[in-house]
Amino acid sequence: MSASHERVRAALELREPDRVPTFDLMNEFSTDIEILGKKPSPLGPLIANPRVSDLLDKVLPHVNTAFVLDKVLEQLTNLGAEAAVRMGYDSVWLPYFPVLRLADSRTITDIFGRVNDFAMDEKGNMGNPIYRTGLITSPSAWDAWDKKPIFRLPEKVNRVFGRIQKSFGERLFIFGFCNYGIFESIWQPMGFERFVISIRKERSLIDRMVRFYTDLFCVLLEAEADAGIPGAIYTDDLCYRSGPMLNPKMIEELFGDSYRRITETAHSLGLKIVIHSCGNTESLLERFADWGFDAVHPLEPTAGMELSRAKELVGDRMCLIGNIDVSHILVDASREEVFEAVRRAIHDAGPGGGYILGPDHSHPAISVERLRWMVEAGREYGRYPLSV
Amino acid sequence: MGDYLEKVKRAVTDLDLDAIAPLVRDALDSGEDPNAILQSMCAGMVGVGELFESGEYFLADLVLAGEGMKEGLEVLEPRLQAGSMGVKGAVVLCTVKGDVHDIGKNLVGTMLSSTGYEVIDLGTDVPEDKVVEAVRANNAVAVGLSVLLTPMVESIGAVVRALEAAGLRDQIKIAIGGACTTDELARRMGVDAVGRDAVEAVRIFDGFVGA
Repeated sequence: MSASHERVRAALELREPDRVPTFDLMNEFSTDIEILGKKPSPLGPLIANPRVSDLLDKVLPHVNTAFVLDKVLEQLTNLGAEAAVRMGYDSVWLPYFPVLRLADSRTITDIFGRVNDFAMDEKGNMGNPIYRTGLITSPSAWDAWDKKPIFRLPEKVNRVFGRIQKSFGERLFIFGFCNYGIFESIWQPMGFERFVISIRKERSLIDRMVRFYTDLFCVLLEAEADAGIPGAIYTDDLCYRSGPMLNPKMIEELFGDSYRRITETAHSLGLKIVIHSCGNTESLLERFADWGFDAVHPLEPTAGMELSRAKELVGDRMCLIGNIDVSHILVDASREEVFEAVRRAIHDAGPGGGYILGPDHSHPAISVERLRWMVEAGREYGRYPLSV
Repeated sequence: MGDYLEKVKRAVTDLDLDAIAPLVRDALDSGEDPNAILQSMCAGMVGVGELFESGEYFLADLVLAGEGMKEGLEVLEPRLQAGSMGVKGAVVLCTVKGDVHDIGKNLVGTMLSSTGYEVIDLGTDVPEDKVVEAVRANNAVAVGLSVLLTPMVESIGAVVRALEAAGLRDQIKIAIGGACTTDELARRMGVDAVGRDAVEAVRIFDGFVGA
């Protein structure tokens, strides 16, 4: 087992590794190409050209975009792994998300019924799609939805992660990511308001969708494990900045059994599984541990999450990942500020093991230089026995 | 008669969606003043806000309360006199240019319209000139800007500058909200307040208009 693997595994198992491991959070395309010193190829100005966008609007709905897009997405996954190696990270949250479909020059849908906008940074580089609305507007829309592309997903995930693991798996502990969690997979294609009202008025639809996405996630875990990937990310944004979006009792009622089944499936396959939920998750942390997740990310500081408090609540049951701020620290802070943020994070979450250092999110304004400082500071302060 | 008003209020606070519209109808049939029924519904929403702040209710419960208000108002609105709603003034809301997230903004809109404001909701991805136009056209007293994504925060500054350029900044208050908003961002953008959630938004806007 490589040093990185041993380091990450020790932290996930709440043992002290040789030093605090580092975690790369699926960078934006522009960040990866900057890390790798590649030339950016901004699409923004091209799409902004009315002639080009008119042409794309006419052509894209009629071409089979899945083949081309899936290849592009695999290249982006490779790029992410390459960038993580170049940065010297121990682990990486690596997305391969072959679910997108180009609708027109501005819109990208997915096979689950989300409608997203193309995101471009200020230089015109492509960013992660931005969710706008959904297409599953009724029980009959769900019945009529073409699910064949969804059924093909596990095979694609298995094939591509197999290749990725072969190329990068020795050097990096890869946390695979190939689908959103059950809550997001249901509410986003419906819209949040409709989802909430459906819990009251169309409960059987919600229950059917929960069962569908639980089964799908478990099969995807099988596909990832079969590809040799050691970890998986389960991302479900259950919270916003001041707390859970739903009553925790309702979360337990709707999704508790599914979450337990997902973690049991992962563990039975030898996979470590991390729950990612944005927002202030403090009131859910103990449930995350009860459900069986090995680690929690991102512990977002702008939502009021404090590592010391999280350590106190669940540090003896779950590994903590992230918490390095992306609103200031990894965007425009001084080197001293970055080092101090890392020192404080390791001080609060590192004792006894069970902490993996990393950003709490990714966005195009994150500075590569500051990411390097973060990794450097992790090496300086993260050696066990800690002296921070 | 007064019994209906209490029942309407309780149905809104208890998120009893099936009961609200029938109760409003029964209250009207029994001769209750439509304005008094409206006030009961608004009092029910105040109860929802209190339960949210005390941690008993969550974001989804605000959505349900908003749905209950909508269903009740569908029955009540034809019987209300013009000017019964929106007595505290007009507020322009939008998600800023470049951002399309609207859950928070919609909830703020629901809470504000349920507590006496006329809400002009411009939707998502709204350029600054549309905000200026709406403020002017509706003689708005305040603007609420929602932003989730960090890269879009500069759009807040663009609205502030556009309102300044239009000579409207001195007569209008601006509040921001959303995942990436902080006190520091509010200072940097030159806005008047930052809110954490839809219930706090009501307090902020009430403070703006002296309600």
